[in-house]
Amino acid sequence: MKYEHLYVVIEHEEGEPVPVSLEMLGEARRLMDGYNKKYSANEKVVAIVLGSGVRAICDELVQYGADAVIYADSPELKYSRNLVDTKVISQIALDKSLVAKFADSSPDFVRPRYMFFAADSIGRQLSSTVMAQLDSGLASDINKLVIADLEIRHEHKTKGQQMVYERTLEMYRPDFSGFLWTTILCLDNRNPAIARDYHPQACSIIPGVFEPIERDTSRKGVIVDYSPTFDPDDLKVKVLSRTPVKSAVDYDSKKAVVSFGRGIKDAPEQNIKLMVDLAKELDAEVGVSLPISKKPYPVSEGISSSYMIPDRVIGTSGRKVMPLLYIAAGISGAMQHIAGMKESGFVIAINPDVESPIKDECDMFIKGRMEDVIPVLIEELRAIRPALEARR
Amino acid sequence: MPNLNVAVIIKLEPDFSEGNVSYNADGTLNRAETKSILGPHSAIACQAAFYARVKFGAKVSVGTMGPPNADAALAQAQLICDAEELHLYSDRTFAGADTLATAETLRAGIAKMDGKMDIVFSGHRASDGETGQTGPQTAWKLGFTFLGHVVSYDIDLERRVVRARRLISLQGVYDVIEEVEAPLPVFIAIDPSYKPSFDTVSQRLALEKYQKEAKERSADYKRHLKTFNAQQLQVDPKMVGLPGSPTIVYKVEKIPKAKASRKAEVIDGTNREQLHRVAAKIHEVLGGMVIK
Repeated sequence: MKYEHLYVVIEHEEGEPVPVSLEMLGEARRLMDGYNKKYSANEKVVAIVLGSGVRAICDELVQYGADAVIYADSPELKYSRNLVDTKVISQIALDKSLVAKFADSSPDFVRPRYMFFAADSIGRQLSSTVMAQLDSGLASDINKLVIADLEIRHEHKTKGQQMVYERTLEMYRPDFSGFLWTTILCLDNRNPAIARDYHPQACSIIPGVFEPIERDTSRKGVIVDYSPTFDPDDLKVKVLSRTPVKSAVDYDSKKAVVSFGRGIKDAPEQNIKLMVDLAKELDAEVGVSLPISKKPYPVSEGISSSYMIPDRVIGTSGRKVMPLLYIAAGISGAMQHIAGMKESGFVIAINPDVESPIKDECDMFIKGRMEDVIPVLIEELRAIRPALEARR
Repeated sequence: MPNLNVAVIIKLEPDFSEGNVSYNADGTLNRAETKSILGPHSAIACQAAFYARVKFGAKVSVGTMGPPNADAALAQAQLICDAEELHLYSDRTFAGADTLATAETLRAGIAKMDGKMDIVFSGHRASDGETGQTGPQTAWKLGFTFLGHVVSYDIDLERRVVRARRLISLQGVYDVIEEVEAPLPVFIAIDPSYKPSFDTVSQRLALEKYQKEAKERSADYKRHLKTFNAQQLQVDPKMVGLPGSPTIVYKVEKIPKAKASRKAEVIDGTNREQLHRVAAKIHEVLGGMVIK
């Protein structure tokens, strides 16, 4: 087989795998368990980890689902740098001798069959450059994966002929509307005019959508030490400093988050002010749904700059929040948004449409327009407050 | 002669402003009914290039792959960054390109620009595809160092290095501000939070001068526009458009409704008594405390 195994590129911060890395390993394990039964027991889940002092996390990666871990340990890899990381990961992906250390070596092996990256700041760009280097395709922001044999007829790929593509990775990505799925395939060109192989079939995976498998400390795997060779030119980016920062928008220390979405559209400025008033009343932070951060509403500069920004997006394209109380006003409930707030304690939605998906994700659904409901709600909150103060 | 050449790659995108965006019955974007504009992230990339124009007198070129009407986006871009040269890469051969095939066209286009590029800017991602892949893949094909999520940058012309601050979000962990230094040439994907600042009097004077120039140039943008087809770009037809695209869109379908995770009590939003109950519940959830 020219193409074998599923490689997962692990990210870690100071030697701790970031959550999406373990989530990817979990999904890789589930997929390969099915694959091993259906196609070949020889193909493995292989974790790749780069860094300085990373040997320590390799066992943990095995316990979370990897059959093998290939690690490259060097002070030059302490912080992620796109150029050098791309080179090292590409070297690993093409190195036949590494495969022989964890699987029955296939003399025909050329490169991995599948490859997973995280769809975060580092992985999204790293996946792009690694796949450019390996001259193969990439689907971004994936939240569902299936391996299947597919019959394909494509104007170019098969020159209009019906052909079976075996072991094809169906990569589902939510459309920007959040209610549609687009399935992306990475297919070789079987067109005799331009036959080209495109492997690995690769994607970046949205953090928070897959579950890690339960940690099993008795799981066994093969740990492979890889010593990369560096071209001095690849080390030309210098990391001068690195400072962890608290987000300008602090959701973690708030008991409540109030978010708004496209429902502000009838009177954007007034409705945003209403949301801010409600947030003040509850000492809450303000969140938004993804379409809002694209600045689709003509509001004044002051409002757009502080409230309609990517920093405030709750969901897969932004932040995950878990406050005691979450209020979603004028938000219909696209799956990207739900993923960011579903672990909140008590959820209240304000929406005129009882058919909107957010209804299935809240504890109280207030049927109504936000501009009608929120002023009354604020009055009622204020009316109760003196009674509570008196009781204390 | 300016001693710094910068390029911006931009994209004509659907205008998602309320009232402009139109959807088909199946929920897909109705492209025919939706107006197209210079993408908002492309506009920010143009601002970053304009910073180099104002601060260092850089020569700016802008390129895009797209249909003939993408020249309108180039004119808008020119107005932002005072570009001297506008490139449109337009050919049926480029149609159906995924990110890798698009990057190949853009690589060839940038190679045709007047002068050897020191910095190429792109937006963070497009508002329609949203993959964020085209920028890094173009950088890789150009052989330029790629710096993503750049929130501010400066150039040491003498040492020919760029110093940039990047905002890295590691979901589930924390954000990191990273300061990096890299020798030119570099490819910078600019973060949406980028805001250029012009602090000195000389910069402000240059700003006014170049803004005026941009207005004049953009009014007559066709004079600066060069259109290239596949042959003129000297791209290998196997590497662009459909043949050069590893990926295909296999199907588009509605995401099935998830099983309800909570059982909602429906409240009538016009009923004050019911809203009173909601308010009481809110106080209860927040610990029955006045949080102010």
